[in-house]
Amino acid sequence: MQKIIAVIRREFVERVRTKAFIIGTVLGPVFFGAMAIIPGLILSRQSTGQRIVVVDGTTAEFGQRIERVLAQAQLGRGENAKGVYLPVRVAAVGRVQEVVDSLVPLTGLSKNRGTVDGILIVDEGATTTGKLRYYGKNVGSLSDVRELQQALTPLMVAERLRAVGVDPAVAMGAAVPVALETRKVADGKLTTESGASTFFLAYAMGIVLYMALVLYGTQVMTSVIEEKTNRIVEVLVSSLTPFQMMLGKVVGVGLVGLTQLAIWAAAFVVLQKNQGRILGFFGAAGAGGAASLLPTTDPRLLVVFLVFFVLGFLFYSSAYAAIGSMCNTAQEAQQLQSPIMVMTVAGWFSAFALLRDPTSTFAQVASLIPPLAPFVVPVRYSIAQIPMPELLLYLAVMVLGLLVMVWLTARVYRVGILMYGKRMSFATIMEIIRLRRSD
Amino acid sequence: MAETVVAVSGVTKRFAGHVAVDNLSLVVPKGGIFGLLGPNGAGKSTTIRTIMNIIVPDGGRIELFGRPGRGRDLSERIGFLPEERGLYKKMQVLDHLIFLAETKGLSRSVARAKGAQWLERLGLSDWTKRKVEDLSKGMQQKVQFIGTLLHEPELVILDEPFSGLDPVNSRTMREVVVEVARAGRTVLFSTHIMEHAEQMCDRIAIIAHGKKVVDGALADIKRDFGGRHLDLTFTRNADRAIAILKDPTMVARLADHGATAEAELSPGADPEQLLIQLVQAGVGLAKFEVADASLQSIFIAKVGVDGAKPYAVPEGSQ
Repeated sequence: MQKIIAVIRREFVERVRTKAFIIGTVLGPVFFGAMAIIPGLILSRQSTGQRIVVVDGTTAEFGQRIERVLAQAQLGRGENAKGVYLPVRVAAVGRVQEVVDSLVPLTGLSKNRGTVDGILIVDEGATTTGKLRYYGKNVGSLSDVRELQQALTPLMVAERLRAVGVDPAVAMGAAVPVALETRKVADGKLTTESGASTFFLAYAMGIVLYMALVLYGTQVMTSVIEEKTNRIVEVLVSSLTPFQMMLGKVVGVGLVGLTQLAIWAAAFVVLQKNQGRILGFFGAAGAGGAASLLPTTDPRLLVVFLVFFVLGFLFYSSAYAAIGSMCNTAQEAQQLQSPIMVMTVAGWFSAFALLRDPTSTFAQVASLIPPLAPFVVPVRYSIAQIPMPELLLYLAVMVLGLLVMVWLTARVYRVGILMYGKRMSFATIMEIIRLRRSD
Repeated sequence: MAETVVAVSGVTKRFAGHVAVDNLSLVVPKGGIFGLLGPNGAGKSTTIRTIMNIIVPDGGRIELFGRPGRGRDLSERIGFLPEERGLYKKMQVLDHLIFLAETKGLSRSVARAKGAQWLERLGLSDWTKRKVEDLSKGMQQKVQFIGTLLHEPELVILDEPFSGLDPVNSRTMREVVVEVARAGRTVLFSTHIMEHAEQMCDRIAIIAHGKKVVDGALADIKRDFGGRHLDLTFTRNADRAIAILKDPTMVARLADHGATAEAELSPGADPEQLLIQLVQAGVGLAKFEVADASLQSIFIAKVGVDGAKPYAVPEGSQ
């Protein structure tokens, strides 16, 4: 046991020390951070302080209202809030075109700071036609135009309601979209998960598992090949059993993976919680903060996920270890690892296939196939809870599958690590598996 | 006879196309230095690898410390330096030694202290925090050598330990090996450099083509080989001397080089008698020396030109 711990520690410490690990661990949160910040930055690219001249050709108060509403429009909240427009109203009843013509030469000048950014033309009878004109330098910016449109629409609606004698306040209060609150019912109990976050969660679990298997599984494989090529195996095999070597390696690399994932998860949570603050730091007024992607999750789901994650990782990385032991170069391993790739992709797809119907026969069968179960069971559990006896059955089958896998791969590994030169054929592998234990 | 540490009986190992080790039996008693000699491809490494349980023999038995278990089960008591040296290139030197010692069951703190001591002793104390890949090949060999001895094994098995070392390093390591043996521990090493074996070994076994040619205490082997050789240099009356030396009861073989001669004494011949005869005959002698046969000459005589020829398929599993 002490020896296995020594192997685990070596694998862990040496890996965590590498530049690749440090860079990867730092880049993860940077990536998440960028994901959180970039949308905010894009939203905040809307210009503020647009100097707009409202050329008011109406005799009613419509022009004044427009000026007031535009002056109030703000981007961001609290201290960071900035006025979007700096409106100036020019009364131009009966001489709209004249005023516009005199303003156009002053608009959109690049150097003069006293320039006008845009001209909003309110013609007489605009409330009847529902049409306003805007001449500006920023009409190419869809977001600017949309923003202006959104600011003006309620005004127009109110104005037209007023014209037919309806109190705009009453009408606006009545026109509310239906707010549909969704919550998941699982096992006869109401959870706090929403439908969207359930899907997100299932998706995230699939991705995490797939990534971890491919990333760290191949690390197990390449490090076995490396030990073979630099002949350190001969020293190791004289003090450790191949099983100790394999288990130590798989567990050590697995812990590295869990560490990295934990750091990423923590960074993700912190970034999510502080999205507004970080955006503020970057000078981007908080864009209201997208709805939190982190649902309040059932802790039991976390347990199921972790259990199947660990079992799945052990299952696949022992396969990777065995493949590494059979090869002499990374190129050889590329070919031999394709069955594992197929299995992981199959698992990933079956998890998706059952998002639609988590109780189908397919879902139940897939849960009983050890290479697929690590993907399928947690995803199923997140969508529709699995009764305890059924869950235990899946767990038992998975553990059994893992034991068989470890038994098989340990046998291949035992012989493979000391085989140089020729690559093992499938026939040799079968022979090795049947070989009686001689040590 | 002393306690047996390694007993190999009737071990055979075949590889595709040839027999690497053919019904080989060896007994390594406790204490002292045992040399496993043979030309390249004779099966030395294969023999050691079967002892270490790196490869499984096709037949025969191996006992270590009087028990049928092999290498790994007794790894705490054995230190092994394989022919193909290998270390984790990215690890720091001291960390690597600690890891190797841990796999032998030593605790980390003890391993750290001992590792530092050894590095100091072999002049590597400035390199403890460096990565293995930054070391020269000779230094890497020293590190691996330390890794073999760190846990103070009762039995040290070294496969070609001095190959690829410069004379200074080679000497340092030989001194360490001798010291280990002096401490009552057993050293088994393979080599094809006869001078090393001659200087260091108490017992040897010579193998060729996977078969044992001769084994036993070095002194016995030398004696049995017909041991005594005579080196002569004449100053006058060399012809009279040659006449006396042709007596087959005294001299079994004679090589006459004119002013000098080499003679192999017949069994039971007394070199002093011969000296008296030569002096009485008025032969002038500048040199009259009785010497043992060198291991080199025994090796060549036993193995022959044919035995020194390497196999077409090199030993090991490649």
